[in-house]
Amino acid sequence: MPRIGVFVCWCGSNIGGVIDCPKLATDAVNLPGVVYSTEYKYMCSEPGQNSIIQAIRDHRLDRVVVASCSPRLHEETFRKTLARAGLNPYLLEMANIREHCTWVHNKEPEKAQAKSLALVSRAVAKANLLEPLFPSSIPMTKRCLVIGGGIAGIQTALDVADAGHEVILVEREPTIGGNMVKLDKTFPTLDCSACISTPKMVAVSTHPNITLYTYSEVAGVDGYIGNFEVTIRCKVSYVDHTKCTGCGDCQAKCPTKVSNEFNLGLDTRKAIYIPFPQAVPNKPVIDAANCRYFTTGKCKICQKICAAGAIDYEQQETIITEKVGAIVVATGYQLFDWAAAYGEYGYGRFPDVVTGMHFERLVNAAGPTGGKILRPSDQTEPKTVVFVKCVGSRDPAKGKEYCSRACCMYTAKHAHQVLEKVPGAKVYIFYIDVRTPGKAYEEFYQRTISDGAVYVRGRVSKIYQLGDKLVVRGSDTLLGRPVEVEADMVVLASAMVSSGGIEDVARMVSVQVDKDGWLQEAHPKLRPVETHTGGVFLAGTCQGPKDIPDTVAQASAAASKVSGLLFREELATDPMISTVNQAICTGCGLCVPVCPYQAVELKTITERIPGHAPRERTVASVNSGLCQGCGACNVACRPGAIQVKGFSNDELVAEVDAICL
Amino acid sequence: MSVAPETVWEPKIIGFFCNWCSYAGADLAGVSRINYPPTVRIIRVPCSSRINPYLVLRAFQHGADGVLISG
Repeated sequence: MPRIGVFVCWCGSNIGGVIDCPKLATDAVNLPGVVYSTEYKYMCSEPGQNSIIQAIRDHRLDRVVVASCSPRLHEETFRKTLARAGLNPYLLEMANIREHCTWVHNKEPEKAQAKSLALVSRAVAKANLLEPLFPSSIPMTKRCLVIGGGIAGIQTALDVADAGHEVILVEREPTIGGNMVKLDKTFPTLDCSACISTPKMVAVSTHPNITLYTYSEVAGVDGYIGNFEVTIRCKVSYVDHTKCTGCGDCQAKCPTKVSNEFNLGLDTRKAIYIPFPQAVPNKPVIDAANCRYFTTGKCKICQKICAAGAIDYEQQETIITEKVGAIVVATGYQLFDWAAAYGEYGYGRFPDVVTGMHFERLVNAAGPTGGKILRPSDQTEPKTVVFVKCVGSRDPAKGKEYCSRACCMYTAKHAHQVLEKVPGAKVYIFYIDVRTPGKAYEEFYQRTISDGAVYVRGRVSKIYQLGDKLVVRGSDTLLGRPVEVEADMVVLASAMVSSGGIEDVARMVSVQVDKDGWLQEAHPKLRPVETHTGGVFLAGTCQGPKDIPDTVAQASAAASKVSGLLFREELATDPMISTVNQAICTGCGLCVPVCPYQAVELKTITERIPGHAPRERTVASVNSGLCQGCGACNVACRPGAIQVKGFSNDELVAEVDAICL
Repeated sequence: MSVAPETVWEPKIIGFFCNWCSYAGADLAGVSRINYPPTVRIIRVPCSSRINPYLVLRAFQHGADGVLISG
């Protein structure tokens, strides 16, 4: 028979001010298995914990029930107390008499008293059946995979590599750099984006601990925390990058010109191309869909011109397998497809209605116009520029419900740049609200207003072409009257949405996608870079819209989590996971498909019964590295062979029986 | 079964709450001091997928008037 001790906490007046704690402790003594019961003002305090340890020793307690706050708050605290007393930490059960009782029934103290006793008797009933549990350990592969080579992936890779661990960085584009490297200047300090991101790109390519796979995609992820096996598909570039010197002759001589996606179609590139001059790696790839040789069978100019002999039209796709212990997803964002949703803004028919990212390229010294703000239709300098904020953001009818966070600030920056670069320019900004939470952000916004930007509070209802002007029709909701502006160019602050293919990545690494398409963190406040899948972390805008400072901060946070993990030699696993009683398992396999973590598989065992020939039999087997202890298999199991430790059938039934009384 | 006219009958409700979401939600109700009837009693499970139909029937057998599954 177990010897259970019940410890009732007053939590100051939080519990003690509503119910009679000494009475609860006295009543608890009568519950089956309880040999000792007491109460104290603050059980979690040092003297409170010491009194538990002392009682375990004095009364030879082998199970402990603490009736106090939520186990989500102090279960770990009291488990450590048990361990200090020499008891297995899993012989603890908590009764949540604060959050689930005194805090919500403070106006009915008598009923709260009765409910407290019911909650304690539930805990005691379960405590009677608790068994000691022991964490097992799994080995740790001290390498990290980072998916995505934008600023988040770059920062994570550099931080993890600097901590001394090997990093594999996979980027699907021909260069790393992501969205940030396309930007011109960054708010609020107006330092040049390329000047602060390209050195980091170079650092990635030269770091001895980083292996970079560009123009490659993660094709599959197997395994679990500490022991992932990742399949990487390297796309065909038709250029042998081990031979290529990056001289650029092929690019100069290539006869085919196609729209340049790096500049969002504002100019052209060649069919063999380096995306931009500072690309890392600074080596070209052939766009086979547009290459003259691949489409007509004739040309091969690049092969003839290449002194290094690096062009290889026969190159095949390669598949690489890497073992890693942790994975960071940093797949970033793309811009909302406003043209498909906003008919009133012309469905993308008007060339001078552009997005903020187009504007970044137009104002960028390395961009198609050399940094002169020229409108795309006729390459003239726009004198009147209208900015429209929240295009696709905060608009559940046409776009997304959420705020994209960075647009208020980059629009203020764009307005500042127009007023600075175009003498006599007029700038109108249509907004719903101006949101500037961030260090020195509000000051920057105020400066833009004093520069002369006109903020108009209201949505734009219509944009149409009139001659060479764009007429922007909206309303000023502060003055309560319609507004019409004849503009030369309109810049839309379109919403951030998660990058294409995020669902595939999410499925591979078993991370949830939230209602807006972003990856779900484990806890919005307390575990912002972790996920519910062990060993998988998030960095940057794949988790939600954010600006560069927040992205970098989150990337470093993910890197510190990864480093902390990779410094361990082996991992202790949570023992509250499923276990199979092979003796009664029938091998029906119903538990296998219900497991959301692919942790259960069937295996063949050989049974040796004295007097009989050895017999082979199929039984279920749980991978302790993958199992998260949800118990779906437990419910599917008809003979009751597979049970979640700490939440077994017997334990839950005992709880139901006790709590109903 | 007879109910005395002056007593208001309150159903006894047993809740099976997932540790990661609704159990935390019930904690939040506590932190926010949102009052609800004391006849609601909550059992913590590691996931709503751990709730066996047998547990629900068992609760009814032992006097529960309602079972709330949340996860």
